[in-house]
Amino acid sequence: MSENPRSDRRAPANAALRQAAPVLALLVLLALASLVPSDLAGAALRIASADRTRAGGMDAAFARLPERALVLVAFDADLGTYAETRPVVRAAIADLRARGARLAIVSFTAEGRALAVAELLRLRRLGAGSDEIADLGFAGAAEAGLIGAISGIVPRAAEGSIAEAIRSRGADLDAFALVLVVSGGDLSVRSWVEQVLPRVPDLPIVAIAPTFLEPELAPYLRTGQLHALLATVPEGLAYVDGVPAADRSRAATVGAMPMLLGLLVALGVMAQSLLAPLMRRSRPDRWRRIG
Amino acid sequence: MAAHRMNGLFGNDLGGIAATWVAAAATVAVWSYLVGARTVFRLTQYLLAGLATGYLALLAIDEILVPRLISPLLDDPAGHVALIPAAALVAIMVAAAWLPGRITAPVTGMLVGGIAALALGGAVLGTLLPQIAAAILPAGTARTSILEAVAGIGITVLVVLSFTHGSTTGRLSRRATVVGRWLLVGGIGGWLGFLLVSRLALLVDRLDFLLGDWLGLLR
Repeated sequence: MSENPRSDRRAPANAALRQAAPVLALLVLLALASLVPSDLAGAALRIASADRTRAGGMDAAFARLPERALVLVAFDADLGTYAETRPVVRAAIADLRARGARLAIVSFTAEGRALAVAELLRLRRLGAGSDEIADLGFAGAAEAGLIGAISGIVPRAAEGSIAEAIRSRGADLDAFALVLVVSGGDLSVRSWVEQVLPRVPDLPIVAIAPTFLEPELAPYLRTGQLHALLATVPEGLAYVDGVPAADRSRAATVGAMPMLLGLLVALGVMAQSLLAPLMRRSRPDRWRRIG
Repeated sequence: MAAHRMNGLFGNDLGGIAATWVAAAATVAVWSYLVGARTVFRLTQYLLAGLATGYLALLAIDEILVPRLISPLLDDPAGHVALIPAAALVAIMVAAAWLPGRITAPVTGMLVGGIAALALGGAVLGTLLPQIAAAILPAGTARTSILEAVAGIGITVLVVLSFTHGSTTGRLSRRATVVGRWLLVGGIGGWLGFLLVSRLALLVDRLDFLLGDWLGLLR
């Protein structure tokens, strides 16, 4: 039996704290890096990407839009990864608005609908009127809903000049000059390519997706089924940098200083894990296992 | 409380302030798992599952079932005859827990079969056939494209060989297996680099939310 029951009770908590110490230290480090004033960090450090190939594809797709084009924004982002694509999505919407496009927002997933509502409210707060952006609501039923939307995408309750413009062009997907898919894991742009394109082959589709979807979606860009795709952080940064209407303030993008520190820590951990077996001569067989 | 909203999802009104506090509390509750507070973490999991289920049910009723099924049937039953079997199917699925299997099984089968048919048909028409067509090199293809194709086939064969797990015999095939395995590791490693940047961006975004939106320390 222990002599000090209080210290016995504290032992598991202390052990958990010791185990979590590296992660907590990382969080504190990143928080301190975030607190560095943006003008101070920005003078020496700026997140950017030199490769504008895919960003140029998105620019080109938007540049081909006719005057007052109707653009469908299929908003099906995930709650978990939306923070990654949020600056790019906002820049794309700002870009389309600056080009005079009329946007209609629809969702086929519940998470996408929740985020679409939040973004719609944000845009309304920024002064976007019903003649600029229309809410086509939640279509549901995932892929079956997508197929249903091909022949009728405007809900009966939808009102406003954009809803009327879509109705006057048949109320189907052919009414749109472009579809911008804000992709997530539940219903990715792959579903659009597989379900919609075989039925509406002339519909131009561009997409913004989180990084984990890139290997799945890149082949569609090479075949021309997707007109443009932004699916990694560098591609998104390259695009946002080229949009005059985009908000590039500290508030809109991820800070450069914490990203640099985080990557340096990750490199340090990787270097340590690679060098540790070399240091430990007692187990030289580790390196051979992979072969 | 910060007057400046960084992620822009919440307004500066009372609702926005309350939402910011709830979101900050939820973030801290999830991170409490790091220091072993598993009960708090489990509670947040239940909260997320409950909210997601409730939200989905609300969406389904408010934006699908009522406006697209019930209202048209009540307003003009004769004009929407096709919706009557749909309403029957929905009723059977809702009451599935109390109905015998021989009634619910065909409905479930139709549902699963329909989804599978859509997925399979779409995969063949939208992915398989276009990708095969794009992979076939037309006559007069540039030499670089032919080299790319040869390299692609070579890497594919080597990586496929890496999955043979020691069943290959002969010195050459064993070496090819090792090369394939390293190619696989290299590919996954390169990909993890991209994922690391994206996951780090998510973490930094959450920290920025806590420091900026909640505590008002960032400008």
